[in-house]
Amino acid sequence: MEFAIFFFFAAIAVIFALVVVLHRNPVVGALSLVASFFALAVMYVLLEAPFLAALQIIVYAGAIMVLFLFVIMLLNLQHVAEPATRPVQQFLGYLTAAAFGIGLIYFVLKYAVFAALPKGPFLANARVLGIDIFQAYVFPFEMVSILLLAAIVGALVMSGRSMKGGRAAIGNEVPR
Amino acid sequence: MGHAFDATDITLSIVKIAIVLIMMLQITPIMVWVERRGSALIQDRPGPNRVGPLGLLQSFADALKFILKEDIIPSGAHKWLYTLAPALGLFPALTTIAVVPWGRGFLLHERLFLGRRLFAGGRWFEPVVADVSVGLLVVFALASLSVYGITTAGWASNNKYSLFGGIRASAQMISYELSLTLAAVSALLVAGSLRLTDVVWQQTGSFVLFNTIKLPAWNVFSPAMWLSFIIFTVSGFAETNRLPFDFAEAEAELVAGYHTEYSSMKFALFFMSEYMAMGTMSALITTLYLGGWDIPWYHEPPTFLGFILSALCFLAKVSFLMFVFVWVRWTIPRLKYDILMRIGWKIFLPLAFLNIVLVAAFIAAGWI
Repeated sequence: MEFAIFFFFAAIAVIFALVVVLHRNPVVGALSLVASFFALAVMYVLLEAPFLAALQIIVYAGAIMVLFLFVIMLLNLQHVAEPATRPVQQFLGYLTAAAFGIGLIYFVLKYAVFAALPKGPFLANARVLGIDIFQAYVFPFEMVSILLLAAIVGALVMSGRSMKGGRAAIGNEVPR
Repeated sequence: MGHAFDATDITLSIVKIAIVLIMMLQITPIMVWVERRGSALIQDRPGPNRVGPLGLLQSFADALKFILKEDIIPSGAHKWLYTLAPALGLFPALTTIAVVPWGRGFLLHERLFLGRRLFAGGRWFEPVVADVSVGLLVVFALASLSVYGITTAGWASNNKYSLFGGIRASAQMISYELSLTLAAVSALLVAGSLRLTDVVWQQTGSFVLFNTIKLPAWNVFSPAMWLSFIIFTVSGFAETNRLPFDFAEAEAELVAGYHTEYSSMKFALFFMSEYMAMGTMSALITTLYLGGWDIPWYHEPPTFLGFILSALCFLAKVSFLMFVFVWVRWTIPRLKYDILMRIGWKIFLPLAFLNIVLVAAFIAAGWI
């Protein structure tokens, strides 16, 4: 039963991941990535980590991909078939990607797959995770939050600069 | 679940799913009638009163109309996504209810059916489809997916009004999801668990106020939680795209918003998912703040009678909240879009943060 569910959702995850890469329409790609993330969340449930599964959907499928889709729709990308102009760059691109792929497969096979899993029950509920984050990993956790804060402040500063012009433009448009 | 999953469990699960699904599918026809008659009541006019007694069969007439209408796909639309969008919208509206408990659990005694013993010994019947340990997170996970239906519909229609509706809806839902989630955090802080059955159990019983009034121990009556109740309810209205927050449709500005181009059953699916999302939101408000299935001043026995009474009580609370949704829609006019964004980010979000600190302080002081 579990194997059937695993293979079904693994197939869904892989197929939709391929659609993301191969489909020409960026909106279809973004939605396929959501489907792929959803199938990935099912893997977490099968690994008895429902907490991570829920977070996977909330953070990736629910928050990040919505913003992706938002941006794609606002830009309204039109796909224009480009003629292949730079053969050298194209060749180098394929070569680098292939080398990276081979290296990745080699290291994953060498280190990850055949390493024995730690014994004992796998605990990933809210309580265990919270205690771990706020005790053992409190420093990296706070560092990440400062990093995010810096990104937010940076975005605000950049949009604030353009907003001044925007406000002035609106003021000129509508005299009061 | 200590024991292995056997045929009885599967049967019980199917029964639960059937009950919940039938209830969810009944929401739309009933609510369409309530909405149309309710709006008529509020606006002092008769409303639809020709089809059946009190116009009760109006919903059937509407459904028939939807089925018989021509299903049009606009020539400029993205056919696949245009067809997929209503289903994407329906999926979260229909599935979120699975983690919400809708009655008190009871011991199902051994039954004999046509001389055959159905299952050995008693079996505990918990009236919730999936009593998962991360129930509240599942709710938010599915709620965060509900934006895709509207956004995809808006984009795939290839119509500027639809696109505006879709983009507005996604901006609005992202904004209000934050305060919705943060408001619910206080409920789980008090319950100490993400499991919604635990959240309800924590609200059973009663507490005495000023040595005189005996109040049910529902979260809404708790001194630290009423603020969170207000934030959650208002954000819930925004999250379900109901007036005064229905910017996704805003017929005065956007024709009909994201479903401008939709007709026939595809439009009906959007209609259904709106009302189902309303029902789910009402069930969530009930579970988190109004004591779920808890009957005030009454201790439900763990029997079939207790289960029926508590389930009816849950239904009564949800029905009342759904009437409030209709009531508010026909009372408060639509806000301006900038006001919506301003109150979302500048009032409700800070209030939600304040509320978490408040509840944490109450818990640390041992008052609740």
